[in-house]
Amino acid sequence: MANTTKLNLIFGDVTLGVSGPHFRYIFAYDRGGLESLVRYGKEWLYRTPVPAFWRATTDNDRGNGFSRQSAMWLGADLFTHCTAVAVRVDGQSIPLPIAPENNRYTDHETATTVGITFTYTTPTVPATTVDVTYDVNADGGLTVAVHYHGVAGLPELPALGLRFIMPTPASGFDYQGLSGETYPDRMAGGQPGTYHVAGLPVTPYLVPQECGMHMATDWVTVTRERTLNNADPDHEPFQLTVKRQDAPLAFSCLPYTPSELENATHQEELPTPRRTVLTIYGAVRGVGGIDSWGADVEPQYHIAGDVDHDFHFEIAASVQN
Amino acid sequence: MKADLTWLDDPQTFRINQAPAHSDHRAYATEAEADQQQSQFVQSLDGPWGFQFARDPQHRPVGFYQPDYDRSDFDQLTVPGHIELAGYGQIQYINTAYPWEGKHYRRPAYSQGADQPERGMFSTDPENTVGAYVKRFTLQPGLQHRRVSIEFDGVEQAMFLWLNGQFVGYAEDSFSRSEFDLTRYLQPGENLLAVEVFKHSTAAFLEDQDMFRFSGIFRSVRLVAKPALHLEDLTIRAGVDPALTTGQLTLALQLSAAEQLVGAVQLTLQDATGQPVWTAEHALAETVKLDTTLPHVHLWNHHDPYLYRLLVTLTDATGAVVEVVPYPVGFRRFELKDKVMTLNGERLIINGVNRHEWDAHRGRAVTMADMTSDLQTFRENNINAVRTCHYPDQPVWYDLCDRNGIYMMAENNLETHGTWQKMGVVEPSYNVPGSLPQWQLAVLDRAKSNYEMFKNHPAILFWSLGNESYAGEDLAAMDAYYHQADPTRLTHYEGVFQNRAYADRISDVESRMYNPPREIEKYLQERPAKPFLDCEYMHDMGNSLGGMASYAQLIDRYPMYQGGFIWDFIDQALWVKDPVTGKSVLHYGGDFDDRHADYEFSGDGLLFADRTPKPALQEVRYYYGQHN
Repeated sequence: MANTTKLNLIFGDVTLGVSGPHFRYIFAYDRGGLESLVRYGKEWLYRTPVPAFWRATTDNDRGNGFSRQSAMWLGADLFTHCTAVAVRVDGQSIPLPIAPENNRYTDHETATTVGITFTYTTPTVPATTVDVTYDVNADGGLTVAVHYHGVAGLPELPALGLRFIMPTPASGFDYQGLSGETYPDRMAGGQPGTYHVAGLPVTPYLVPQECGMHMATDWVTVTRERTLNNADPDHEPFQLTVKRQDAPLAFSCLPYTPSELENATHQEELPTPRRTVLTIYGAVRGVGGIDSWGADVEPQYHIAGDVDHDFHFEIAASVQN
Repeated sequence: MKADLTWLDDPQTFRINQAPAHSDHRAYATEAEADQQQSQFVQSLDGPWGFQFARDPQHRPVGFYQPDYDRSDFDQLTVPGHIELAGYGQIQYINTAYPWEGKHYRRPAYSQGADQPERGMFSTDPENTVGAYVKRFTLQPGLQHRRVSIEFDGVEQAMFLWLNGQFVGYAEDSFSRSEFDLTRYLQPGENLLAVEVFKHSTAAFLEDQDMFRFSGIFRSVRLVAKPALHLEDLTIRAGVDPALTTGQLTLALQLSAAEQLVGAVQLTLQDATGQPVWTAEHALAETVKLDTTLPHVHLWNHHDPYLYRLLVTLTDATGAVVEVVPYPVGFRRFELKDKVMTLNGERLIINGVNRHEWDAHRGRAVTMADMTSDLQTFRENNINAVRTCHYPDQPVWYDLCDRNGIYMMAENNLETHGTWQKMGVVEPSYNVPGSLPQWQLAVLDRAKSNYEMFKNHPAILFWSLGNESYAGEDLAAMDAYYHQADPTRLTHYEGVFQNRAYADRISDVESRMYNPPREIEKYLQERPAKPFLDCEYMHDMGNSLGGMASYAQLIDRYPMYQGGFIWDFIDQALWVKDPVTGKSVLHYGGDFDDRHADYEFSGDGLLFADRTPKPALQEVRYYYGQHN
């Protein structure tokens, strides 16, 4: 079936639309990323996904000065912007199809595969770039590849991922991976299995901080019941699955961005949950724990800033759970 | 004798007219009473007390203990509980610095010279809050016409006691039981008990634990009658021969009589099914010593906390039963073999936690429900040991650890952190107790209270001198006291790491806190003199507890590495009503306008303050399960 189905392409003036049965994606040149991910009429994105470079400071991060040493990445997390876009159709690179280049297309363009790469440039000193490539497969599945270019002189990263902010809070999520909240240096106790998490729990550490990480995951399915679409009165659950590709993925699914967590000194200061923040991580820094007023995370659980990092995952064509 | 406020200023005055510390056994009138643990000799004084708060000694209700004093303006306060959590006095959380940091300049008495007694430091302290407590009671039938004592299980931090207007005594040491003989002050019918509690005294220098700073009668209070014949003290030594087969039981009893010490004492040791395995009888005397051997004794350990029961029955000249004392007995052999700690011949692995007594509603006035919940958490997560950081716990906790096979590091109520370490730097220029003779008796008294009260608990493997108090002659004297008093256990003290001059005289184990695994490995590779344990490790503050694998690996590689106690078991935070939303929220240091404060630093638990597990607990379960 997949090989006989063609993707419909809309070469717009500021976006590239890609659609097929039950799905429609809009890649926005002006917004610098995947602006819309619609499945069965339901929108999954609130803003374009951007690279995630920060985690809300843990008590150990504060104690050993890590957040101070890596503070540039907080700025990068907030202010990185898209500086280049490249499009491939059926494996062939094409000039960026905006006017007048797109005048040669019609309303009936199709392809078997489409790839689009957004290059993000960080406001760090020195700067670096992250390439995020989406390949739309004929069945509507999205393969996502993230490549971080290491640059000498950049501090260690608190995290490296791709953050998807969804328009409404999820009613829950399911995943196949390890029990509980796990980190690279705290995952031996995680029991492999398939787990359901109701709602979007924030681990109630006294001071809100990085939380909710799930290492070694095969897939995660997010369930929502509401959209922001005024013409959509339906409250039936609908789902989206992210799957591992070559390597297990790590993710967190929370109602808050790291900045929101970072700003609160108590749980009750966190804002009313309004979104779902699903972050897929290619690299996770350990949490440490020798002591909270000086000791660093063990070296093997650091994320170097001066070497390249790659990770891949798939926004699956169909729901898994 | 009259009460003297200046005792608050004098480190050499810490107990006046207190009964000597003794074993924590309970006396019953009959064996049936003992079986039900309902003693007619005990009358609880927990519940509502009359109360008045004063912001300092100068504003306290002087003479409030007099029967004719007008107490019509007194409030009511529930005992046990903290004064601050009842809305009097400011809540404060501070770690190492003293609670008066930034408000008062203080040096401990005699720390700057024998001619520097620092008189008036606490008796005229303008911020030393005072709680005036009164309680009326009438003796219940089981206590009438008998010798009657009163037991305070925990009063923070200094207390004066009066009965019917007469001064009875004075006590410090917030976390040890203080007992006073009331017999000669009692009157028929209603009696008026009065307790004046001061938040600070020289004991404040000895009680600088990393915790919320509270005051008040925060543990139970009870009247206890002694029948005509009474077991004052009981020492049980329950060991086993090197072949781990023949039990060796040695008993020492101290007895007293209201009038004449005439009669007999019968002793029965029952196995766990209630079958007697040994009986003996001896004529009453002030001191009775007995010993016996038991072939094929059933040993006590974590996985099989097998307890026998000793029954001590005192009978009078007519043979009538006067008093029955039951006490659980666990036989075990704890020793150093080739510099490795062994229990019943096997290498000891400590899968431990530090446990502050904590309840997010009640502070350190924890309940039985809290304690049984904690033991359930221990069971579910392969935790086999607890350090009573950094003070003796409620007495019943020791019984529970016996029954649940939890190895205990029984720690004294001692921490003088702020006197020797400032902003992380070792600076002991005004350290107490140090080698100051004026402070030695106070810390020795704390050691003695701890030993005498809990000496019969098989769960206790270590006597811990205290926490983070540096090292000097006074700590060395505490160590020597424990060795002299008790050859069956080891001593523990980490602070000697900070002053190696005392390495040979303090602590049977090398103990450190928060040492990285590679540094521990270095110690273990250098032909060390003592086995190693972490008295605190894996500082589980917030989202933490990463890297435990590196510690677990040391267990496999070095026999002298014997595990440790995670810091710590439960977050210290308090439920308050959020003034903005009206919802219950957990607050921590600094949230009460308390300054100087250490803010969220008290949130280091494996459990959140409401006893729900932190995610890290599954990691503990895994690694502790590897050597369980």
